[in-house]
Amino acid sequence: MPNLFLGVEGASVTFGQQDARVCALRDVSLSFEKGTLSLVTGPSGSGKTTLLSMLGCLLSPDEGSVFVDGVAVNGLSEAERTVIRQKKISFVFQAFRLFHSLSALDNVALGFEIRDPAAPGRKELALDLLLQFGLGDKLQQEPNELSPGEKQRVAIARALAGNPPILLADEPTASLDAEAGRNICQILRREVDEQGRTVVVVSHDPRWEKFADRTITLCDGRVEEEVAVL
Amino acid sequence: MKLALQNILHDRGRFSVTVLGVSFAVFLMVFQGSLLAGFLQAASRLIDASDTDIWITARGVQAFEFGTALESRVREMAAGVPGVMQTSRVCMAFAVYRTPIGKQQVVALVGADPNVGKRFPVPDAPESAEKMSPDAVLYDVSDRKQIEVAALPAEVEINRHRASIEREIQGYGAFLGVPFLFTSYRNAIRYLDFRSDQAVYILLRTDRRYPLSQIQQSLKQKLPEVDVLTRDEFAHKSRMYWTIKTGAGGAILTAAVLGFLIGLVVVSQTIYANTMENLEEYATLKALGAPQAFVARIVLAQALICGAVGSVLGLLAVVPSINYAKSLIPWIHAPWWLPAAMVVPSLAMCSLASIVSVRSALTVEPGRVFRA
Repeated sequence: MPNLFLGVEGASVTFGQQDARVCALRDVSLSFEKGTLSLVTGPSGSGKTTLLSMLGCLLSPDEGSVFVDGVAVNGLSEAERTVIRQKKISFVFQAFRLFHSLSALDNVALGFEIRDPAAPGRKELALDLLLQFGLGDKLQQEPNELSPGEKQRVAIARALAGNPPILLADEPTASLDAEAGRNICQILRREVDEQGRTVVVVSHDPRWEKFADRTITLCDGRVEEEVAVL
Repeated sequence: MKLALQNILHDRGRFSVTVLGVSFAVFLMVFQGSLLAGFLQAASRLIDASDTDIWITARGVQAFEFGTALESRVREMAAGVPGVMQTSRVCMAFAVYRTPIGKQQVVALVGADPNVGKRFPVPDAPESAEKMSPDAVLYDVSDRKQIEVAALPAEVEINRHRASIEREIQGYGAFLGVPFLFTSYRNAIRYLDFRSDQAVYILLRTDRRYPLSQIQQSLKQKLPEVDVLTRDEFAHKSRMYWTIKTGAGGAILTAAVLGFLIGLVVVSQTIYANTMENLEEYATLKALGAPQAFVARIVLAQALICGAVGSVLGLLAVVPSINYAKSLIPWIHAPWWLPAAMVVPSLAMCSLASIVSVRSALTVEPGRVFRA
């Protein structure tokens, strides 16, 4: 499976040693097409987060290969993988992981700074993004002054800073109520449709099924099912 | 950099604890350093106060306070060595002092010729602005309680000889636990029952056209029964004696070294703990693609801000403390370079501790960022 845009080929990952050894992924091969939203689901311990870590260049498989933007990344150094994360990948986390001491605007501006420290007008670009997400009245609020839904929108704005082609989301709606969760689903779907971004969402939330182009179910570190939505 | 500053401003409680730790460390290092510096300075103060080039002492004298009398011919023979321009005499011995109200105590009596040096406390120094009788006796203001004179001049007795205490001076306080009294050479030999022209130290001023080492060598050859030392050599010898060979000096040296090490450990531990508190944020930065240098810069900036603020507060606290301590320990002394010499390693330890702790963030465990 050469030249995958984003995916893994024959990837296996184990954690721990001897009796505590756990096989998180076993010979998994998956490809994520450019401009699609893929939902990865499955029970706890099925290997969803391990898969996301590999796709995000945070983890190298013990066996197999990982491709990001057509490049095999598992042989690269940590510094080279950092550059790939910086230029091509962004994350959205269940726990938001906003910088608690920075305002919403500064959190997003920091996203731009990480992508390109020399880029001018970071504040203006951050302001544009937050306005797009309906957070114009929350610019100077710190994370602890925002609702969970607002926090996640700020986190997505930060993730989109610098226009990365790949967005990896780990349980992005798990901490949100129904309306806020639906809002996040719509935002990420729009990023796929309008910006051509490739989004991989790991979630137990069934709401995602109607927003995803494909649903992958993992179980015990293996791909149990792949369902494409036509 | 904004993240570093905002983190500090946001968590004021943690920042206060960090700054307090650094302040305490800097306070401890500077205070202990001042005790050591003051002790070293006091150990050679009278030697340093002379502006002569060479000191001749009896063989084996370890410190100014423990000199023994030299034969009169030593001065005459030294004066005949090529390159020696001028000689002067200093005598020092313990004497019995009787206060105006009849109380007796031991004092260290120092007498010197007027040409020993401008800073050397002698009553008949040629540059002295306030003219006194050559027989005047001086004492340091810090010894006032022990000298027990109500008003100046005061008639007292030294070794049963009448003496006149005429002035207070500053900077030559008790170092041995007994007060120093200063007078002219002529007066001192009378009080101490020395023979005419007898001295404990012969001090030489040399001609700059002759190399000092050459004059010193000639003197050693001509006077093999005495020690011939440059002023700096004798001062060093005296400092080493008091610091290394006496219990008090050893205790102060040990306390200063321990204070320095404890200070560095406190700084390191404080900054390390502070950095570890923010580990999750550094892990997030790393996951978002921030290069190691970017993360390290933020951690370092945070540590240095804490270190700098803590150092300034520590210095602000230690300066008045040292000034207050002078009333109890007259010889404590903080040279101008000491605060800088203590702050620099403190900041270096801040940086080092933050770099050590940030390694955890830079080698972030995969998946950590995905945990709720």
